[in-house]
Amino acid sequence: MSAESLFAQWVAPARQRSVLDIIGLALPVLAALSAMAWRVFGPSVALAMAVIGGGLALLIARKRAISHDRAWLIRRLDASRPDLEDSSALLFLPPATPTPLQALQRARIADRLDQGSPHDLAAPWSRGWLIALPCAAVLIVVAMVLWPRPGEGPPPLAPSQEGIAAAPGLPRLIAQNLRILPPAYTALPRRDSARLDAQAPLGSRLEWTLRFDPAAKAPRLLLVDGKPLTLRRDGDSWVTGMTLDRSFLYRVDAAAGRGPTPPLHRIDALSDNPPQVKALSPALTLVKPGQRNWTPAFAATDDYGVAASARLRVTLAIGEGENVTFSEREIPVSGTGAARDRRFAPSLDFARFGFAAGGDMVVQLIVRDNRSPAPQEVRGPSVILRWPSARAPESSGLEGMVNTTLPAYFRSQRQIIIDAEALLKRKGSLSADRYLVNSGTIGNDQQILRGRYSQFLGGEEEGEPTLPTADAQGHSDGDGHDHGPPAKASAGFGAPEDVLAEFGHPHDESPASSLDPETRATLKKAVDEMWGSERELKQGRPDLALPYANRALRFIKEVQQATRVFLSKVGPELPPIDPTRRMTGERDGIASRTLPLASVKSSDGPAASAWRALEGSAAPDLTALGNWVRANEGRLPDPLALTAAIDTLRQSPRCAACRARLQSLLWTAMERPMGQALPRRRPDDMGARYLQMIQGGGS
Amino acid sequence: MTMEHVTAAILAIAVLISAIRLILWHRASPHPHWLRLAALLVLQPTCAALLFLALYPPPIPVEGGTFIIATAGAPRFTPNAGALTLALPEAGPVQGAEHVPDLATGLRRHPEARRITVLGAGLTPRDIEAASGLAVRFDPPAQGSGILSLTPPTAAAPGDSFDVGATVSPTNNAIVELLDPAGRVTDRTTPDQQGHVRLTGTARAAGNSLFTLRVRTKDRTMAQASVPLVVLEPKPQRLLLLAAAPGPEIKYLRRWATDAGFDVTSQISAGGGISLGDAPIAINAATLGQFDIVVIDDRSWTALGGQRAALMAAVRNGLGLILRPTGPLDAATRSQWRNLGFALTGANSIAPLALPKAAPAPIARTRLGIPTEILPDDLRLPADFLPDVSRLALSPSSGTSVALLHDAGDAPIAAWRPQGRGRVALFTGVDSYALVLTGRTPLYDDWWRGLIRAVVRPAPRLLSPPAISWAGERVALCGIAPRASVEQPAGRAIALQPVADCAAFWPAQSGWHRLVTKTGGMSFYVQPGDALPAMKSARNRDATLLLRGAPTTAAEATRQAPGPAWPFAAAWLLVSALLWWLERSRIGRAQPARSSM
Repeated sequence: MSAESLFAQWVAPARQRSVLDIIGLALPVLAALSAMAWRVFGPSVALAMAVIGGGLALLIARKRAISHDRAWLIRRLDASRPDLEDSSALLFLPPATPTPLQALQRARIADRLDQGSPHDLAAPWSRGWLIALPCAAVLIVVAMVLWPRPGEGPPPLAPSQEGIAAAPGLPRLIAQNLRILPPAYTALPRRDSARLDAQAPLGSRLEWTLRFDPAAKAPRLLLVDGKPLTLRRDGDSWVTGMTLDRSFLYRVDAAAGRGPTPPLHRIDALSDNPPQVKALSPALTLVKPGQRNWTPAFAATDDYGVAASARLRVTLAIGEGENVTFSEREIPVSGTGAARDRRFAPSLDFARFGFAAGGDMVVQLIVRDNRSPAPQEVRGPSVILRWPSARAPESSGLEGMVNTTLPAYFRSQRQIIIDAEALLKRKGSLSADRYLVNSGTIGNDQQILRGRYSQFLGGEEEGEPTLPTADAQGHSDGDGHDHGPPAKASAGFGAPEDVLAEFGHPHDESPASSLDPETRATLKKAVDEMWGSERELKQGRPDLALPYANRALRFIKEVQQATRVFLSKVGPELPPIDPTRRMTGERDGIASRTLPLASVKSSDGPAASAWRALEGSAAPDLTALGNWVRANEGRLPDPLALTAAIDTLRQSPRCAACRARLQSLLWTAMERPMGQALPRRRPDDMGARYLQMIQGGGS
Repeated sequence: MTMEHVTAAILAIAVLISAIRLILWHRASPHPHWLRLAALLVLQPTCAALLFLALYPPPIPVEGGTFIIATAGAPRFTPNAGALTLALPEAGPVQGAEHVPDLATGLRRHPEARRITVLGAGLTPRDIEAASGLAVRFDPPAQGSGILSLTPPTAAAPGDSFDVGATVSPTNNAIVELLDPAGRVTDRTTPDQQGHVRLTGTARAAGNSLFTLRVRTKDRTMAQASVPLVVLEPKPQRLLLLAAAPGPEIKYLRRWATDAGFDVTSQISAGGGISLGDAPIAINAATLGQFDIVVIDDRSWTALGGQRAALMAAVRNGLGLILRPTGPLDAATRSQWRNLGFALTGANSIAPLALPKAAPAPIARTRLGIPTEILPDDLRLPADFLPDVSRLALSPSSGTSVALLHDAGDAPIAAWRPQGRGRVALFTGVDSYALVLTGRTPLYDDWWRGLIRAVVRPAPRLLSPPAISWAGERVALCGIAPRASVEQPAGRAIALQPVADCAAFWPAQSGWHRLVTKTGGMSFYVQPGDALPAMKSARNRDATLLLRGAPTTAAEATRQAPGPAWPFAAAWLLVSALLWWLERSRIGRAQPARSSM
C-alpha cells in the first residue's frame, strides 16, 4: 500500500465527520434564517438566502476538511498512539531515500498501525449543538409560519363611535372593524379600517365585523336606498360582507329599529381612472437626411397599472398633391418601466412600412390599463413624422394666388462681397497659393448661390456653359419653357416613382413660371453677373469679381422689390355690388315663415323649494328632494352627502345644525338660472312727472 | 286744543255752574245772607284757579346749564368739572352719574340743560332727536376697526350676479372675502386706500339667502357680517328682437332669451319683404306697449323709417330699448343715435375687444350653479382659444349717459340713458355669440342680462326696507298701505300702524322678517343687535358729529320751564278747606235745625 492510499484511508473518516458536522449545524440555522426572510422580505429573498447560506456552509465544511491534512494526521497519530513511537511520519511522509534504519522502523510501525482504526481519529460530533440548533430552528420556523399577518385572521376590533347612550335591554354597537380587500389587479394590500366610513377602490370586497352589547338578536346594516344586509353570527361577533359597486350610505341597526337612530356612515367607491398617455416626442418631426428608422416615445401612466403590451396605430400618407394614398395598420408594442408609469418607444423601420419621401407617418399609441374584468382603453395623442419632398412645395387652390416667396439668400450674396473684400485686405499676408485657394472657396459659394437662383429660372442657368455635344436632348436652354428641377434620387424601393420627373419634366408648374417676365429678366441678369463673379473668383481675382458681385446684389435687390409687389398677399378683388340688380331674380316659393323655437325648461324645483323652506322655518319636502337627488345624481357635486343630510334631517326634524348642513349642501346643488333681470321699481307720480319733464332729445 | 285748555274750560264751566246754583239758591232762600254769598262766589273761582295752577304751574325762567352725557364707550370715571353727568343705558355703570333711560328723560328732569358734552362713541338714533336744539360738544373717538359700512344688494333676480359694497378698516394686509351660503369663497379682494371694496356673487333660485362678508389678515379673521340677499322672481318679460338679416348673433340671442324665460317675439328681415322668426307684428304704440324691451340692430333702425317716432314714443312711456350695431354705422344712424345722448366718438370701425379677465377657477366654479340641460359643463368652462368678439370703436358713453359694461382695456362697450320714463342702451359689442361657442356662456349671460336689467320697463314693487337694521332698533318701513303687518322669524305677525305711508317697527329678534301688505310681500333681514359693531358706532359717531354744527334754539337767551307746583297746591288746599268750612258753618244761615232740635 503506498503512502498516498494509506493517507487517504486514514484521513477519510475524519474529513467526512467534520463535513457532516458542519452541515448538520448549518441546516437548522439556514432553515430558521430562510423562514424569517420569507416572512419579512418574501420568497425570493428567502431562496437567495438559502442558496447563499448553503454555499457558505459548504465552503466552511470544505475548509475544515482540507485542514485535516498530512501534518494533522501525523500530529494526531503521534499524540494518540504511543505505539507508533512518534514515527508515523515515516508511514505518511516517507523520505525519498530512506536510510536502512528508517526502513526498519517503518516496517515495524506499519504492522502496528492496523491495531487502531482510522475512525478513532475523527473529531467527535458536536452533540449539544446538533440537538439545540434543530430544536430552536423548528420553533422559529413554526413561529414564522403561524405569526398572524395584517389583514389575516380575526381582525382587531376598534371601539365604536356611534355616540349612542347605553339603554337597558337595547343592543348597542360597542366594537367594530371594516376590512377592505381591494381587487387583485390594484395590487393594493388589504386593510382594516377602525372607522365605519371608508374610501375603497370600486370592486373591493368589504367585510364588517361588529360586536354588540347586550347581545343583539338580528342586527342589520341598513343601506340608504338599498337592500339591508343581514349580519351572521361568528363567535361573539357578527359579520357580513359585500362587493363595493357604488358609493352608498348605511347605518348599523343593532336594536331592530328600537331606540335612537344610529348615525349614518359613508362608503366612497373610488373608480379606476383611465390611463393617461403623453407623447414625449414633438408633435411634428422632420426626417433627417440619412435617417432609416424613427423611435417615437410615449409615456403612459395609470393609477393602478398600464398593461405592458399596447398597440401602435400607424397611418401612412404617401404621395403629394391630390395623389395621396393612406394606409393604416396597428402593430403591437411593448413597454418598459414600472407598471404605473410605462414608457413605449417602438422603433419603426421606414423600409418595413414603405415610408418614403413626401410622406407623413402618423402614429398613435393605444394603451389599456390592467382593470379587470374590463380594461379601459385610451388613445393617446398623434405624433407625426414628415419626410419633406425634395421638390419645393407647390401651391394649389386658393394659395395659387400667393406665389412661393423667393428664398432669403440676399445676405449670402452680400456675404460673398464681404468675404471677397476681406480677402483683398489680407492679400499681402497670404501666399499666392493660399490666396488662390481662398478665392476659389468664395467662388464655390458663389456657384452654389448662383445654382439656387437658377432654380427660379428653371435650372437653365445651372452649371457652366456646356459643350455643344452634350446637348443631345430635344430640349435646350432657351426653348421657351422651363425644364423643372433636376431629377431627384429615387425615393427607395417600393416608393411611388415620380415618373414625370424621370422621363420628362413638367411645364409651367415650377415657381419660375409664375414669375412675371420683368422679374424673370432681372433675375437672369443677376445670375449672369453671379456667373461673372464666380469666374473671376475661381481664377483668383476677387478684385475683378467684386463689380460683378455688387451688380448681382443690386439686381437681386430689384427682384426682391419686384417680388414684394408681385407677391402681396391679398384676397380676391370682388366686383362691387350692384344694388339695382338685387332681388330681381326668380323668387318663387320664397315667403315669410316662422321659425319655431322651443325653450328648454330647467328643473330646479325641489331643491329651490326645499331651500326656501329651510330659509324660513317650514318643513321641507324631503321625499321630493330625495327623489330629485337620485334622479340628478350625475349633475350634483356630492349627491351622497346630500342624501346623508336629507336622511339626518328626516330622523331629527328639529335639529337646527342638520337644517343648516342641508341648506349649505343645497346651495351647491342648485342651478343658476339664466337671463332673468329684476326690473327697476316704477317711479311714483312725482318721479314719473320729473322724468317726463327732463326727457332728453331723440329722433 | 291742548289738555291745558280743556282743563281750564272744564274748571270754568264748573265755577260758572256753581255760581249760578248759588245765586238761585240764594234767591230761593227765605233768609238771604249777602256776605256769605259774596264769600262763596269769590272763593270758588279762586279754588279753581289755584287747582289749575297746581296742575299747570306757570313757567319760570331758568338758568342755562352744561351737562355731560355718557354714551357707549365712555370712561367709567368722568371728569366731573362741576357739571352733572347723565349716563345713558349704553354707557354702563358710570361713577357718580345719574342714570337715565334715554336722553329725552334726562332733559325733562333737568330742563336747564342748554349745552351737552357727549362722551364716548356718540348718541344712538333714539337720542338724536332729543338732542336737537342743544349745543353739542363732541370729540369723536378714533374710527373703529372692522366693517365700517356694508351695502348689501337691494334685491336680485334668480341667477343674477350682484355687488356687495363695504368699507373696512384698517386696510393694510386686509383681505376681504365674500362667502356663499355653502361657505365657499365666491369673491376675494383687497381694499383700496380708503378701505372700499366691491365684491361680486351670484344668486340662485328665488328666496332668501345669507352670504357672509369676512375681513381677515393672513391668519386671523378680523370681522365678519351676514350679507342678506333677497331674490325675487320677476314676471316673464316680453322681448321684441328686430334684426335686418339672419345671422348667428340674432340666432344665439333668440336662443338665450327663449331659454331664459323671456316671452320672445323675433322679427328677422331676410330682404325683399320676407320676414323670418315669429308672426309679423305692426310697429305702433299699441303693440309696443305690450313689450317690456326691444332689441334692434342698426339696419332695422334705418328700415323702421317713420315708425321710429312710434318706437321712441313707446320708450318715453317706459319701454326699454337696446341698440345693437352690426358694424360701422352710416352717417344718418350715427347722428340719430348721437341725438339720443350717446357720444359715439372715435373711429367708426371694428376694433378688437379685450375680454374681461376670468376669475380664478375655484372662485368661478362657485359662481356657477350645477350643470343644466342648457348649460352642460363643456359650455360653461372656457375653451383655451379666444373667441372672435369685437366691438365698434365708437365709444357709447358720454357725459349724458351711464357706462354699463367695459372690456378688459376699460373701453366702454355699453351705456344707457333715460328717455322719458323709459331707457335706451347702446351695446357696441359685435359677434358676442362667439362667447357661447367658446364656453363663455356665463359672460354672455352677464352682458345681456346687465343690458336688459338697465333698461327694461319698470314694474311696481314694494319699497325696500333699510338695507341694514339691527334687532332692538327702530326700523322705518315706507311705501306701505294700511293693514300691513310684519311676520317675525318665530312666525308671529305684528300689525303695523302706518302714518303717511310709513310705519315704525321695533324688531325684537334677528333673522328674516317679512313685510306683508295687500299688494304683496317683501322680506328683509334684521341683523343681531351685536352684529357690525364698527358700523353701528361709525353711524352714531357721524350722526352726533352732525349735531355739532346744527343750529341751536336760543342758546344764550332765557328759557322757560314749568315752575314748582306745590305753593299753588297748598294754597288750593287752604282755600278748599276755607270753602268747606264756610259751606258747613252756620254763619249767615237760617237756624231751622236749631228750632227743630
